[in-house]
Amino acid sequence: MIKVNSVTKKYPARLAVDDISFEVSKGEIVGFLGPNGAGKSTTMRMIAAYLPMDSGTIEVAGFDVATQSREVRRRVGYLPESCPLYADMRVDEYLHFRAELKGVNRYIRKTRVNDVKEQCGLTEVGKRIIGQLSKGYRQRVGLADSLVHDPDLLILDEPTVGLDPFQIRQMRDLIRQLAEEHTILLSTHIMQEVEATCQRIMIICDGCIVASDTEANLHRMLQQKTVVEMEVLTSKEEFEEKLKQINGAELRMVSEQPHGWIWVEVETLSPDMRVDLFKLAVEQGWTLRELKEQPHSLEDIFVQIATGEGATL
Amino acid sequence: MNEFFALFKKELKTCFLSPVTYIVMFFFWVLTGANFFWLLWQLIGGSPLSVAMQMMFGGPLLAIALPIVVPLITMRLVAEERKQGTFEALLTTPLQVPFLVLAKYFSALIYYMVLWLPAIAYLLMAGKLPGVPGFPDGGAVLAGIFGVMLVGSLYIAIGLLMSCLSSNQIVAAISSFAVLFGTALTLTLLAYNSQSPSLRIIGQYYSSYKHMMDFSRGIVDSRMVLMYICNSAWVLFVAIKVTEAKKGS
Repeated sequence: MIKVNSVTKKYPARLAVDDISFEVSKGEIVGFLGPNGAGKSTTMRMIAAYLPMDSGTIEVAGFDVATQSREVRRRVGYLPESCPLYADMRVDEYLHFRAELKGVNRYIRKTRVNDVKEQCGLTEVGKRIIGQLSKGYRQRVGLADSLVHDPDLLILDEPTVGLDPFQIRQMRDLIRQLAEEHTILLSTHIMQEVEATCQRIMIICDGCIVASDTEANLHRMLQQKTVVEMEVLTSKEEFEEKLKQINGAELRMVSEQPHGWIWVEVETLSPDMRVDLFKLAVEQGWTLRELKEQPHSLEDIFVQIATGEGATL
Repeated sequence: MNEFFALFKKELKTCFLSPVTYIVMFFFWVLTGANFFWLLWQLIGGSPLSVAMQMMFGGPLLAIALPIVVPLITMRLVAEERKQGTFEALLTTPLQVPFLVLAKYFSALIYYMVLWLPAIAYLLMAGKLPGVPGFPDGGAVLAGIFGVMLVGSLYIAIGLLMSCLSSNQIVAAISSFAVLFGTALTLTLLAYNSQSPSLRIIGQYYSSYKHMMDFSRGIVDSRMVLMYICNSAWVLFVAIKVTEAKKGS
């Protein structure tokens, strides 16, 4: 569906996108993850045929973005980051206008508008003025607009920004539903969002794609170093002393709890340190209250990759 | 082409639902009313018909009002879209930049012509006046309306260009006022007050005040018509190129 081939984009002061290449196939739902200013929006705008690129080529549904931009725009539904709408129009009026602008046949226009309104939960607010709607509803109007011409590809630039937790959950459900019929490329700097919605994750940093894989694979690649948390009844000094018996275990943090308990975090390269730690506790006769492996969150992966620690990738 | 009409319809709707439209309309209509009143005084004072008719579309009040009114119509056209971010939403639809600029241009031109509607009502009233036979002269009226449209088409093109150049409506309005008023004043002064005959000829060629005087008397000079059409076209061309270049910034 999307083929991006060594695309570079320079702004007067800085390099926004530096020679990136990637592909998204039909039906995929891909999350673009990166810190602010990493080049997510710039890349999406180039795919949506809004920004011209300095070098490289982008193909969407077999059409070249630079030379066949109109064909591309017919097939892309794009929701810009700030979700710009005409505040003085009514929801129905706006969606009809956008449908007409996007070339939806006038015989089916009304049905299409009603369909997307239903899909996005806007049936109740059709007669209301956009400027008076809450942020969540406005975001839905933006999404309905990007869907109204039934595009093959949906590009959503930070679709949940500015929403409350409840609205975020609704928006995610909506995006997951849409994924059944559309290819989706969405960007965000919120980890949970990609974890919750996307099949594949692309991490972009300083204009370069630093990782692109499924969430599980990204996890696996970084799983080499694990952290084990444990809570035992012993003194800090004794624990530090005895831990040296275990090869490769490194004390990351230790804190004293009430009633003589200590909370420790041990970092290790071995696949599972819990057994060793349990044996150590038994040998020493320490009472053990908790022992668990810290799961790697996408956030860790992201931080590691973004700061260059994930050199293996 | 469908996209053009979609945007054109929306622009007209937005224009006639906006309060600024009616404020501008009110002041312009007050001015055209005052202008008509002045015209009647001239007739009562015994001025010849041809001189009085010049007042209808080319009165000094209107010559000063147009460079103020046109920027008020055109300032929001593109600048507001850019400020609100809707510019991006517009240009990621199949709409092409030339159609975007033209749709905005023609919607503004239509509103501008609506501003002149009371002038026609005044003329109908004037036709009923006793003691002024042959007034108004149909041909002169048509030529006058045509002239108003030509001058307006150039002024609006310039205002639209200024709106394309800036994302701030106020900057767009003030810069179009400066350009329109500055050139109109300079050219009129050249046409009527210059000591040098060559400068005077240049002024007479280009001054829209002078042209309006001619059109109001029923003189339609094809050179002027061509000049206005060509100038509007190239200013619009520049506006389209500016919009294309500013895409994404």
